[in-house]
Amino acid sequence: MKTILAVDDSATMREMVTFVLESAGYRVIEAEDGAQGLDRATATNVDLVITDQNMPNMDGLTLVRSLRELRDYKSVPILLLTTESSDSMKAQGRAAGATGWLVKPFDPATLLEVVQKVLR
Amino acid sequence: MSTRDATDAAQAADLLVTVATTLNERLAVTADELARSQALLREASDELMTAFRGAADRIVAAQRGADADAARAAEYGPVLDHLYRACQHLQSHDLVNQLIDAQKMRVDKMREKLLQALSLAAPPVSRPDQPEQWIERSRAMLDCIVAGIQQIDQDAHGPLGDKQRQGSVDLF
Repeated sequence: MKTILAVDDSATMREMVTFVLESAGYRVIEAEDGAQGLDRATATNVDLVITDQNMPNMDGLTLVRSLRELRDYKSVPILLLTTESSDSMKAQGRAAGATGWLVKPFDPATLLEVVQKVLR
Repeated sequence: MSTRDATDAAQAADLLVTVATTLNERLAVTADELARSQALLREASDELMTAFRGAADRIVAAQRGADADAARAAEYGPVLDHLYRACQHLQSHDLVNQLIDAQKMRVDKMREKLLQALSLAAPPVSRPDQPEQWIERSRAMLDCIVAGIQQIDQDAHGPLGDKQRQGSVDLF
């Protein structure tokens, strides 16, 4: 069973992402912000990270950069799931090493398609 | 400068105080209404989330139990589709909450500047017969209000309203 780390400061968003992923058979670990996400990712190796951008303590782009510095996370897919939709933010995400960018509110079926694709 | 000039300048400064006070009072009402809207939204979404959670937990558990039985697992498909649709729209509460937070921040910042402008009008003018003193006071108040207007968008980032991009995916 693949393990996915879902990072978002909104409990509602975490719950939505977790429900959709668990309904498709994935195991989900949650974190409330980038700093906690980094802790969780170093404590348990995960197969995919899905993170929000605007969060307290550590934002999504900083989390992506921090994870990419870790040997275990050089090639693990990382998706940004955020309300930010500007081209400049997406360019920053790409430069930081993110695998993809999804704009909220997400469509569950689309999220699952993307997750399956990046985990292949 | 004549006494008439001083009287006009004093009246202009008083008018500015009246405008700032009224605007501040209206913004206080707006702040209160935003807080009440947010509380109502939170209450409603908490109830919806409890109902959603109950249904979601049961369907996920039932799906796991029905893994070996393809026919039973297929029955859960349509229920899951309904929950997926609910899931997509339940996210709206979160986005609306962020929008309200951004508006509250703007209102609070503007109120802070208006109060600062009003505090400039509090001490008595040392020479009320001198129009320059009133003009200087009015200018300082206006500068303060203009600074508030210019700073209103700083740090207040609501979710963007670009509906076409909502739900979009870019893989790099």
